Amino acid sequence: MKQRAMWSAVLVVGLALTGCGSATGSDPSPGGSADKLVVWDWKSGEASAAPYIEKAKADFAKKHPNVPVEFVAQPFDQYYTLLGAAIQSGKGPDVILFNGGGQIRDRVDALVPLDEYVAEDRQRLAGWDAFTKDGKTYAGPVTLQGHPIYYNKALYEKAGLDPARPAATWTEFVANCAAIAKAGAKCFALGNKEGAGIQFWLSGLGSGILTAQEYDNWIAGKRDWSSPNVKRVFQLWKEAGDAGLNNDGANSTAMFNDGFAIFQSAKAAHVIGLMSDVGHWQDFNEFLTADKLGVMDAPVVTAGTTPSLAYDGGIGYGVAKWTKDPTVAADLVRALTSTEALKAFYTGAGAIAADTTIDVSQGGPAVATIVSEIKSGKPALHVALSSKTLDLMGRLSQQLLSGSITVDEVVKQLAASDQAG
Amino acid sequence: MPIGNVQPSVRPARTGRTDGAAGATTRRGGARPRRGGGLRSERYAPYVLVAPAVLIIVLLRLYPLLLGVNFSFTGDGDRNGVAVGFDNYLELFRDPLFRTALGNVGLLVLLLPVAVAIPGLLATFIYLRVPGHRLYRGVYFFPAVLSPVIVGAIFNLLLAFDGPLNSLLGAVGVAPVDWLGDPDLAMFMVVGVHVWATFGMGLVVFLAGFATLDAALLDAARMDGASLPQVIWHVIVPGLSRTIQFVFVTTMIGMLTSMFGLLYVMTSGGPEGSTYLPEYYIWIQQGQMNRPALASAASTILFVIMLVVGLLQIKLLSRAGREA
Repeated sequence: MKQRAMWSAVLVVGLALTGCGSATGSDPSPGGSADKLVVWDWKSGEASAAPYIEKAKADFAKKHPNVPVEFVAQPFDQYYTLLGAAIQSGKGPDVILFNGGGQIRDRVDALVPLDEYVAEDRQRLAGWDAFTKDGKTYAGPVTLQGHPIYYNKALYEKAGLDPARPAATWTEFVANCAAIAKAGAKCFALGNKEGAGIQFWLSGLGSGILTAQEYDNWIAGKRDWSSPNVKRVFQLWKEAGDAGLNNDGANSTAMFNDGFAIFQSAKAAHVIGLMSDVGHWQDFNEFLTADKLGVMDAPVVTAGTTPSLAYDGGIGYGVAKWTKDPTVAADLVRALTSTEALKAFYTGAGAIAADTTIDVSQGGPAVATIVSEIKSGKPALHVALSSKTLDLMGRLSQQLLSGSITVDEVVKQLAASDQAG
Repeated sequence: MPIGNVQPSVRPARTGRTDGAAGATTRRGGARPRRGGGLRSERYAPYVLVAPAVLIIVLLRLYPLLLGVNFSFTGDGDRNGVAVGFDNYLELFRDPLFRTALGNVGLLVLLLPVAVAIPGLLATFIYLRVPGHRLYRGVYFFPAVLSPVIVGAIFNLLLAFDGPLNSLLGAVGVAPVDWLGDPDLAMFMVVGVHVWATFGMGLVVFLAGFATLDAALLDAARMDGASLPQVIWHVIVPGLSRTIQFVFVTTMIGMLTSMFGLLYVMTSGGPEGSTYLPEYYIWIQQGQMNRPALASAASTILFVIMLVVGLLQIKLLSRAGREA
């Protein structure tokens, strides 16, 4: 009886409160600590990032000697979950490291626009687009992240191909793949367990498939999912899977890092990798040696397209809305993106830094090719999509590989998800 | 969950009850002489005494629960803080991914008898002293002390497409199977690994149950010439009915609430979203998609499911108690 009374009370209170309040904390109160700046990231704990953090701290101390800075390294797996909790409570770090694209765009409500503070850095740094929403910039880029197509020159030689002249068209590419298969290797190393493989595919090959106009429209948000060239992206993904160009079991292979390991161990000749952090030139150089690692343009699929490197701002620091003095916090962001600091980051962590004035000739031919293509590069196609659409695309791509869905159905579902938000 | 605390799941009832009764009598006896004087303070004393416990339950359990339910009726993003009625729930039931997650909960319920039968059978063999039973007792319990992350990592290696299991199959001429990459197989693999990792606990409970079994009955059955299956079916199963029910309930709860680690490591919800469970869905929506209100709605649904399971548990155990 008593229990029933209690539950009715609970029910009444519950119904009375239903729909009040909000799940993300409506009005963040100023919560940044008064006399120090707290930085959240997932990098500062790594030994390779230590010189970078030191340089940035020193640079910041020149301007604000009395403001201590505390770096809090969070585990990356949990980073956005923890950050979500901090944003909900309206308290937390003053300066926050973000991945470019969806991760920061979904959270700009909690950030200060930095345009007025970073005007001087505009020209020196590249990759601003990934941290921009509705014309406002929310973070200063630290690294560039992009999707070059790496190839193994040793396997090319073994297959009787010219390692200095990778395929320029898709037909030629498929023919090369046949030669590579005869030499006992797969064409693509693909890890699609997380559904990330299709994202790399879209961005790595997109510039050879979409026309320049379609590409720019896509980035601008005018995406025509019914266009034959967009369909072609998914058609080729399916064909590559059906023709056995990928390693076996792609849907159960984690891209990080089993997929890359297949390329590193020379079991596959190509991989659409990254430019910074992991799965990139520095990792591959270690296994394949710098001389044997090449970077190629996307093969031309649609006649008349000019392939370009797909890249964006990779990671960057933003300033939280609740920080006490945004000017001081913005100065810390500028210190974290200074040429000196970024140079230390490039050398230590092997990332392509956002500062394109850094000399990379020591890193081998692959990294030199990448940096030379940054000028003509364009934002990556998948970065323009919402995390919800990317998640859906990941699952649909797995279905395409297993043959349980048609390309038409895929683009239909993606169009619906993309239009919904 | 509050329900679990209200009703202890194991109830060696009789001794407990006599103790309680004895305590109550003493207290009553001691209180009587003071009745005339401190009547008012006496009346409030019990409330004051239980207040800390009640406050902890209300503030740390009921309030967050209500808050979560409340958030589930608000919107995300642009509609943050706006009451949206049942929109989140509608969206959940329209989302094929959430339906898969609920479907997988159903699958877990269907697989429950298998998950209970395995420790039950193995405990029977140990009880019947098969050769090496001491070794098996230790070995069977061993995986229960491993964290799900480690178990997941081990099976990731074993079940990889180019892993040892497929090499073994290849050696006997069977084509390789993409154990974790086939949407029709992956969920069974994850459940199988979960059962492997946790059946040790059920085994221990079964062994404890066997300790209460009357050995004379077994001897009598053997004397009458009962075969092993007959002994199990007609003597052991009826004798252990309460233990079996207990293991059923705890295994069910374990499956519903502690598969996250395995899913995260082994399949990340894939392939094709086929291994999503509500927990994993909640985590993705909250942490990756920045949809806390939708995650609250999914949590509320999971809570209701657990509530139903909990109530069934109470009903089942109390009925078992009456029968015994």
